[in-house]
Amino acid sequence: MKKVKLIYEGKAKRVYSTEEDDKFIIEFKDSATAFDGLKKAEIQGKGEANCAISSKIFELLTIKGVRNHYIERLNEREMLVRSVKIFPIEVIIRNRVAGSMAKRLGLEEGRKLEKPILEFCYKSDELHDPMINEDHISALGLASPEELITIKDMSLKTNQILIEFFKLCHLDLVDMKFEFGKDSSGEIYLADEISPDTCRLWELGTTESWDKDRFRRDLGGVEEAYNEVKKRVLETPVESKTRILIRLKQGILDAQGSVILNALKSLGFNEVLEVRVGKLLEIKLDRKVDEAGRIERMCRELLANPVMEDYEWEWIEE
Amino acid sequence: MGVDRRMNFGIVVFPGSNCDRDCYYVIKEILNQPVRFIWHQETDLNGIDCVILPGGFSYGDYLRAGAIARFSPVMSEVKEFADRGGLIVGICNGFQILTEAGLLPGALGRNKGLKFICRYVSLRVERNDTPFTTEYRRGDIIRMPIAHNEGNYYIDNPDKIRNQVVLRYYGENPNGAIDDIAGIVNERGNVFGLMPHPERCSEKILGSEDGLKIFKSIVRAL
Repeated sequence: MKKVKLIYEGKAKRVYSTEEDDKFIIEFKDSATAFDGLKKAEIQGKGEANCAISSKIFELLTIKGVRNHYIERLNEREMLVRSVKIFPIEVIIRNRVAGSMAKRLGLEEGRKLEKPILEFCYKSDELHDPMINEDHISALGLASPEELITIKDMSLKTNQILIEFFKLCHLDLVDMKFEFGKDSSGEIYLADEISPDTCRLWELGTTESWDKDRFRRDLGGVEEAYNEVKKRVLETPVESKTRILIRLKQGILDAQGSVILNALKSLGFNEVLEVRVGKLLEIKLDRKVDEAGRIERMCRELLANPVMEDYEWEWIEE
Repeated sequence: MGVDRRMNFGIVVFPGSNCDRDCYYVIKEILNQPVRFIWHQETDLNGIDCVILPGGFSYGDYLRAGAIARFSPVMSEVKEFADRGGLIVGICNGFQILTEAGLLPGALGRNKGLKFICRYVSLRVERNDTPFTTEYRRGDIIRMPIAHNEGNYYIDNPDKIRNQVVLRYYGENPNGAIDDIAGIVNERGNVFGLMPHPERCSEKILGSEDGLKIFKSIVRAL
């Protein structure tokens, strides 16, 4: 897949069109800005770290059934994604008081919230991304009420999944920012990136930052923080389950199926036309998605006998 | 058959093989040929002229009959042995292993009647020009016991192997095998798989000697 045209350049990413209409390439940059662009810097290795972190997290979300725009990682800095039209809304989800919320409400950073808080901002650089509410969103037509319900559900589900995942990385997910988009058929996808640029991550049990706050607040060790998060995220196994169904090929007499068919009929289930009996295997793996080809191989090389059996498989979403 | 012929047999023993000793007995006691067991984890086939994969339930028939045995360390040697033209016979579970390993075409599925069948069947010898059947005449009707749950031979295009069929069920097809196929060889003719058990009918006292000719043919092939 080749980059065709630069269609968007933001503070930390470039988005390119490709030869295929429904795919974009996202390139992660090393540059960082904060406070609406007032503070700028290059952070060595940030682009690569964010690309790796986002890829792994999107793969995890795919296993867990959160539809997202990620297709595959192309190289150290680029990922291939589904082209979606981004809603002009930033979704912020908070598990602890921090950042702008602490300032706005005069609260101390670090306080655990009784339940996650969802906030919405209108995406506009000139207006400095002002906070809006659900009524603004529907009244201004930024998203339909149904779309907003989907966006909220996906946000809460993603939050729950990532709280658990980051805990395994010994990180506390304080808050994060999402963007959503929809494809030409109206299907909604989690988009953008998920990285220390868009998440507040603290060392578990402390308030020590492992995210962009190190840059915002001049805490030092900025490059190290991105690399540390990358290391922990990549090292943390993502368990996934796959369900493999193996059946005799169509056209091969399934003797068991015929016997069961007759038994069902003798019980009066005359509506039954055919019974095919198969084998169901559930396999737990320590990773996924980029390894999908390996499941095909497992089926072909051992689990099914291709002479007389067909197989199909799917990820089991929890 | 001259008494000075010495055919070195090797019988592979998988966990769950149970016809290995019967084969050993026939080769050693009836034909007086040198024979040794080859544990499935061995990889040394030195000096062996004919490898036998005996019947049984290797690895409990888990997943599919023969599916796991094919990954035993000895099997890569057996493949090379086949490539070098060495003689290989797979009996019953051995036949299943050979198809799973890709050394013979097709696959063995569950018997059509869903029952384990253990009885004598009639067979017609379709080829006597293989190293395993020269002692028969083409068209001979012989009797051998079968004992299997997965003997339903299947191949998507039976015409492709029409010339490789060595034994066919005669009169009645016990398990639903396509084209009544009971035993086939590979294209080269040095790998033979069959569902019936020749080692169980190699002595008069057991009711039939029809199977002995398979082993005699192999000895003669040397």
